[in-house]
Amino acid sequence: MTGPFKKMTGNAYARQALLPGGFRDVLAPAADYEYSAVRQLLKVFGHYGYDRVSPPLVEYEDSLLTGPGSTHANQMFRLMDTDTQKVMAVRADMTVQMSRLAATRLQNAPRPLRLAYAGNVLRVKGSQLRPARQFMQVGFELIGSDALEAELEVIKIAVEALESVGIRDLSIDLTVAPFIRELLTAFDLEGDDLAQTVSALSAKDAHGFDALPDKAATIFSALISAAGSAREALSVIEGLTLPKKTGTLIKRVRSLVDAIEESMPSVAVTFDPSETHGFEYKTGIGFAIFARGSNTELGRGGRYHVDHPDIDAEEATGFSVYMDTLMSALPAPKSGKKLFIPVATPAEMVKRLHSDGWRTIQGLTETADASKEARRLLCSHIYLNGSIQPLD
Amino acid sequence: MQMSEKLVLALPKGRILGEVMPLVNKAGIIPEAAFDDPKSRQLEFKTNIDNLTIIRVRAFDAATFVAFGAAQIGVVGNDVLQEFGYDDLYAPLDLNIGHCRLSLAMPVDADEVDPKEWSHIRVATKYPNLTRCYYASRGVQAECIKLNGAMELAPSLGLCNRIVDLVSTGSTLKANNLKEVEVLTDITSRLVISRPAFKTRPKEINYWIDRFKEALKDA
Repeated sequence: MTGPFKKMTGNAYARQALLPGGFRDVLAPAADYEYSAVRQLLKVFGHYGYDRVSPPLVEYEDSLLTGPGSTHANQMFRLMDTDTQKVMAVRADMTVQMSRLAATRLQNAPRPLRLAYAGNVLRVKGSQLRPARQFMQVGFELIGSDALEAELEVIKIAVEALESVGIRDLSIDLTVAPFIRELLTAFDLEGDDLAQTVSALSAKDAHGFDALPDKAATIFSALISAAGSAREALSVIEGLTLPKKTGTLIKRVRSLVDAIEESMPSVAVTFDPSETHGFEYKTGIGFAIFARGSNTELGRGGRYHVDHPDIDAEEATGFSVYMDTLMSALPAPKSGKKLFIPVATPAEMVKRLHSDGWRTIQGLTETADASKEARRLLCSHIYLNGSIQPLD
Repeated sequence: MQMSEKLVLALPKGRILGEVMPLVNKAGIIPEAAFDDPKSRQLEFKTNIDNLTIIRVRAFDAATFVAFGAAQIGVVGNDVLQEFGYDDLYAPLDLNIGHCRLSLAMPVDADEVDPKEWSHIRVATKYPNLTRCYYASRGVQAECIKLNGAMELAPSLGLCNRIVDLVSTGSTLKANNLKEVEVLTDITSRLVISRPAFKTRPKEINYWIDRFKEALKDA
């Protein structure tokens, strides 16, 4: 070692057992808290008829790269299948797997197809903002319907599920990635102009359109400043002269905003017509869910296409959350109550306590001071002389 | 307008602070007296606006605070924005202050060689990502040495043969026998906004963007 002697604390094994960056052990009570939140989300999805499916962690690389999967190409761990000599990859996203199921094994299942899932995904690299490399993705997909009711159903269930795990003051941000794509095509932007416009749109930089023709510049800067409350944004956009094709998309957004406000009055709805980031593969309305007071986006979803090998692409819409982000938006878990049971408590009694909802810690050997032993084992209560007594 | 939740404005220490304060004041934000007291060790300052506080941090850190949502509004140079490439930031306003450029410089007396012929080059810089990108687009592998200051010393002492650094007048380069070869990017300070704050508090955030827009018009 160079430099001054550095005093190392801990033992060699503790250093050896450090986990790779982006991976972590989740202990009690956080592990159980996360598990019950996952179960609660799936329960709500299940109430609405979304059947849970569980695809494998590893697939052949090319299957995970189909369609929208290609956005995750540089995020997947690869390994070699020694059997077939083909490259396999660990999933970095589960929606790709839902598309695969819909297009293959469940091709003949009645439409619309409703699927729910929960599972771990793995990423090669974390970022400073999102260092986790393994986290749980939970979501559901509604495949085979292009109705506006499909978007509304997905948003409704997403909101109900998030509220049921304890998220409050939800706010939904609507986006329409194809709207911006249509505009860029309509104005014939190419090369540097296109790159500059796209980057100005994603930064919301109103001065980034100075090089464009007046008409385009006016529209793009108006779209940027329109972002905000959905009602106000829509009235700004409806006042602009836009290329014809984009009108139907905006009409759809208006109908959806009306429907959300009618059925979920407590939820704030914003509309950001210039947002494209992370919604590149969306073929219609996309949405992200935020909660006031939380620093991150909680989940997102929207409309996309499921590609079929033989027939036309199928309309789909869905929603998913990353559990690590969701858990950080929830209050810290409390340790549950535990009841210490001294040796020789009758088995029937223990069973009865369990059916009353108690979690018990069985004393295994005779101790002089049972209360002391109970405290040492972090119990909140003790079963003593035939009754439950709280410990402080 | 609802102005209940805390709102944090992150300002960069040093050179830019003097230029940005007139704009902040014109936008209607006046910090408490300790802000102008050089002896004060305080890092977070109250203002005349009830729910708004100002934090004073290093230029690179202002972007980080806003990207993590710890501050909702910030002032950051586009050099820092490009170096980090954070997704969760919007930069809606060019504040037209802190003008300078990020440039590649080399010793005055070194031979002019076409860098295309090199397979790799060693560069001292505070901006390793930007520098690597710049050379990568020219097909050259850049080996970046991260320095936090006094970049200009590095070539003459044999640490590297090029530097990428901020240049405003060019006099520091000249004094150290260096010449500016190419401008990587022109720099001004931007008003930046955290994405979640923009989405969940659009009215309030847009109100402050508009205040800064007006302040710019008057400037």
